[in-house]
Amino acid sequence: MNALHFHHIHQDYGKRPILKGLALSLYSGQCCLLTGDNGAGKTTLLRILGGFDQPKQFGVDTGFGSLNWRQYRKLLRDSVLYLHQQPYLFEGSVWSNLNYALPRSLDKVERQTRIQQALQWAALEHLADTPAKTLSGGEYQRVALARAWLRQPRILLLDEPTANMDKDARLRTIQLLRQLRDAGMALLIASHDPDYFSSLVNQHLHLEDGVLQTVTGEPRFVIIPSLYPQRQCPLGAGYHDETACNTPD
Amino acid sequence: MAGLLEATTEALALLVSGDEALWEIVRISFEVSLLALLIAVPPALLLAFVLAYGQFTGRRLVIALFSTLLSVPTVVIGLTLYLLLSRQGPLGEFRLLFTQTAMVLGQIVLAFPMLVAIGHSALQAADRRAWETARTLGASPLRALLTVTYEVRFGLLAAVLASFGRIISEVGASMMLGGNILHYTRNIPTAIALETSKGEFAQGIALGIVLLVLAFTLNILLHHFQGKGYIGS
Repeated sequence: MNALHFHHIHQDYGKRPILKGLALSLYSGQCCLLTGDNGAGKTTLLRILGGFDQPKQFGVDTGFGSLNWRQYRKLLRDSVLYLHQQPYLFEGSVWSNLNYALPRSLDKVERQTRIQQALQWAALEHLADTPAKTLSGGEYQRVALARAWLRQPRILLLDEPTANMDKDARLRTIQLLRQLRDAGMALLIASHDPDYFSSLVNQHLHLEDGVLQTVTGEPRFVIIPSLYPQRQCPLGAGYHDETACNTPD
Repeated sequence: MAGLLEATTEALALLVSGDEALWEIVRISFEVSLLALLIAVPPALLLAFVLAYGQFTGRRLVIALFSTLLSVPTVVIGLTLYLLLSRQGPLGEFRLLFTQTAMVLGQIVLAFPMLVAIGHSALQAADRRAWETARTLGASPLRALLTVTYEVRFGLLAAVLASFGRIISEVGASMMLGGNILHYTRNIPTAIALETSKGEFAQGIALGIVLLVLAFTLNILLHHFQGKGYIGS
């Protein structure tokens, strides 16, 4: 499964439609940036894809067939990991939080080895025994990313992953995200600050009035009435050299 | 005043001397109430969880119902169960009336709404991200439930202790369902009621002291555990 094509995503808040039949594709090893004003529906979209909120309408094409939301939730939930704007860390140490992300079938030695690797990967070795609730915002995010690194989902959904971070913490986070992307994960990042991620993203979508628009390298919006069926973006296509990806035929 | 002092001194002497009859009453109280609590806690907390996290028609009605049941007098619950368990009642054939089993049943009915109502409040106040994070990290619904339960353990512990306090000190249901039979169904509150009605204040006060010490110990324990989880720790 190198790509997931989501389509006909529709959601209402009361009687107000917030997502109007959206379509988007996520590709293995690519990063998609999702921007939009406050209340545009970015978090709503991420939570639907994360399997938390049931949409009014939904469809996804896995390449092996089409699934509705319930089937998607049942079959692919383990493949998708959603990180809240402020990730939640459980009571206990950083070590125990990382341990939570590992399959229970792993034996003790393998478990220890992998946690040690994750600590090293996220530069958290010195915080292994620290109570997770006492960490700073940047460290919180690194622990959450280290859990994702251990979990190895196919799709990683991130809601404002660098919000309220200083420059160093932000750069570290983006560096870790790049490694996750290069390891083959599909990233979907919702953010207000596209500039922070310009070196990372392959595709930039803007959500406005319930509709997704592709943003090219130039600050230009292309309105897409329907993205399904659609062509696949070329692997490794950079944000600034994006051309045909998700543009109407 | 002198009479109260005299009775209290006598009560302390009874406690210290290890008076067999008195400590048997204490033992019966604890056995019945702990068993009732043990049976009531798992389903009550599960229901509290469903009410806090589930989305279904009538959810608010069920919450309101359990909140209402908190204020039902114990004697009314005792009377209802009495009618159900009495010979002519629908459960009469089980011959449970005036047994410890009937007392346990009564105390389960008393503890259940309190566990659900306070447990629901604790779970609803929990950070929803705890459940979502557990699930997105691949936890099964059961493991996620246990995780959230652990995250709000202080609130749930308060629910358990408050329920225990309610059932071990209630007199109405125990009196009606147990019958206050010596060596069998006489527990602390029914014994206090009986001894006081006979004018035997010493044993009543001694048992009252046991209840007070118990309440104090439970609160100390609760604050000890909560102290480890205070903000900024």
